[in-house]
Amino acid sequence: MKKIQHINAKILTTALAGLMVLTSACSSSGTAATTGTTAAAGSDSSAAETSAATTTEGDSSASTKLSFMIWDANQQPAMEAMAAAYTKEHPDVSIEIQLTAYKGGEYWTKLEAGMAGGNAPDVFWMNTLHVENYVDADMLAPLDDAVKTAGLDLDQDFPAALASMYKINDQMYGIPKDFDTNAVWYNKELFDAKGVAYPEAGWTWDDMVSLAKQLNDPDNGVYGIAAPLDFQTCYYNTVFAAGGWILNEDKTQSGYNDPKTQEGIQIWIDLINEGLSPSLASLTDTSADAMFESGKLAMIWAGSYMTPEYVGNEVIKDKIDLVELPTYDGNEANVINGLGYSVYSGSKNKEAAEAFAAWMGGTEAMKIQGETGVVISARNDAQQYFAASQPSLNLKAYTDKAAIATALPVSKVASEMYDLEANSLKLAYSGELSLADACAQAAEQSDALLAKMNK
Amino acid sequence: MKSALSRRTGSRHQLADAMWGYFFVAPVVIGLAVFYAFPFLQNIYFSFCEVDRFNRSSFIGLDNYREMFSSGELYQSTGNTFLYVLLTVPLGIFLAILVAALLNSKARGQSALRTLYYLPAITMPAAIAMVWKWIYNGNYGVLNEFLKVFGVSGRNWLNESATALIAVAVVGIWSMVGYNMVILLAGMQGISPSYYEAAQIDGAGALACFFHITIPMLSPSIFFVLITSLISGFQVFDTIYMMIGKTSLAYESTQSLVMLFYRNAFDYGYKGYASAVSIYIFVIILLFTLIQFVAQKKWVHYE
Repeated sequence: MKKIQHINAKILTTALAGLMVLTSACSSSGTAATTGTTAAAGSDSSAAETSAATTTEGDSSASTKLSFMIWDANQQPAMEAMAAAYTKEHPDVSIEIQLTAYKGGEYWTKLEAGMAGGNAPDVFWMNTLHVENYVDADMLAPLDDAVKTAGLDLDQDFPAALASMYKINDQMYGIPKDFDTNAVWYNKELFDAKGVAYPEAGWTWDDMVSLAKQLNDPDNGVYGIAAPLDFQTCYYNTVFAAGGWILNEDKTQSGYNDPKTQEGIQIWIDLINEGLSPSLASLTDTSADAMFESGKLAMIWAGSYMTPEYVGNEVIKDKIDLVELPTYDGNEANVINGLGYSVYSGSKNKEAAEAFAAWMGGTEAMKIQGETGVVISARNDAQQYFAASQPSLNLKAYTDKAAIATALPVSKVASEMYDLEANSLKLAYSGELSLADACAQAAEQSDALLAKMNK
Repeated sequence: MKSALSRRTGSRHQLADAMWGYFFVAPVVIGLAVFYAFPFLQNIYFSFCEVDRFNRSSFIGLDNYREMFSSGELYQSTGNTFLYVLLTVPLGIFLAILVAALLNSKARGQSALRTLYYLPAITMPAAIAMVWKWIYNGNYGVLNEFLKVFGVSGRNWLNESATALIAVAVVGIWSMVGYNMVILLAGMQGISPSYYEAAQIDGAGALACFFHITIPMLSPSIFFVLITSLISGFQVFDTIYMMIGKTSLAYESTQSLVMLFYRNAFDYGYKGYASAVSIYIFVIILLFTLIQFVAQKKWVHYE
């Protein structure tokens, strides 16, 4: 018995030692491994492999390895071309691109796990929904010095609303990468069939409603327009045009109770009530995009990111064009949102990473990205490339509006607030509650949430 | 002296043998410790903490639990989850027994049928959810087209509180029958034919054989299937996540406990609160499993 105990103790210590070795080995890469990355297997620990020696100027023999994480496979070729152009100019730097799917939150899970373990990619895409949380947790490096060194002028080179979204506490935490604005796509075939003239720039909301009436043909499953419960693409644009607001400057209060805000939402609900749009339930089952792409919808409000999808669709690609958003009450408004390049504050090559991120905001990089036609390059002087990528389409309807656009309202609790908003507003869209009541409910819940956030 | 020596070499052998034994089980034990035991214990600890997106935790005592039990969402989700379990488990097991009994006969093409019934078990839940979503589609769905033949007007199955959870439960049952059927079929084939022969000599019919031999002899398998079905029922997530959109009017009435956990952990970044929800789910499952183990003494017959 004693002997067995002795053996057990010995085994236990060996097992424990082994366990400790294993856990310590896993703590750096294990967390990331569990997220199941789609690409670049085994690249998780690349940041740890780079030597502590930073890029000292003039020392060309020192090779600095930067890791760069992105989420869109469609944009990988552009990112590779940009990285290649950078390393050609800077032979002492090598850049490894890691692709992690956005879907299901995989990208953020991996990034956050990496940061928790002190081992995240040096440079990565950031979006406006996350940037404040990341800055709050000191995970992002301020880029103001690198911006100055690279000679970027954030106010002049980029749409003001976009740049403002990455400026937190007067410091810049993301180099604007691309942006999206909204426009109205229409199906020319359905217009032609009814002998209706296509919409033109300068049209109004009332013009749109009357067009929708002429094009509406529910008996054949065709609708003039769709009013999905979509904040960024649809009702925020009209809320801003109507003079309403969603979130105040201090991010302490929501604007749902403002009658002007409700006016901008009510006009969408009216479309459903007048039968010009499918019901909310119907649009939840069959999305407005699916309807438009199968030729069942005459007009649709869509973000610029939908362009590759629409022009890649064999059914409709030759029958469609787009026009800028109609004005409402004489005002034009557009919601802008966009990505940025951010740098990990714990990066072992922070200086090189910052320099690369800033370079990505420069003319050359933005041209390479823009010419692929996948996204609108953020730089004012590079927006033209997106429009030029599909000469037959009026893509200027998107790029022209960056200057007048309003930033998408975001905060540290944005995802939760959008959910609360949708939960309340859907009751108004379906007619179960009046809009005023639904908005009162959204305001009460959102204000409580904001109070908790600001505590 | 000699015997002492041999005893010592013997012990050395024993030691070596034991070492090898531990060595061979080490990968599994270490794997369990690292990937199950440690995260489980950490999760318990996190449920008493505020944990941010970057896993930085600060101890806040019972605050997460206080907040959780004072939120209406928890009770709504609990109710939805129990309803889902109630809808899927009894019917799912009943159908599995029925199918297993039918496939246990020497009918032609039974192996093809067995494969067909097992197919849902090897299909990705996400793919299943997508296909069923199309079936339930209010505008173009197969189900509504089918009902139209009989003059019944369809509805937006996944958008109405009255139907959405039932619609999801149907998918749950459809997915679970195949797996349960295989377990039960194996159980049925383990029943000795001599019982049936004896019963037939005594004049028992097919139904009597089924209820007085098959069911009692199958009870250990049924017990196993019941436990696993209950556990997976309480953990329902993917079909709901895939099938019910955020703008669905049935969103609140279909949110399961794991959905609540998921949203807080991954959409909103409240990992501490989400840990508390997961502990709550764990306790519910544990309680039900314990009840099962006590209750089984009354109805499960071991040979």
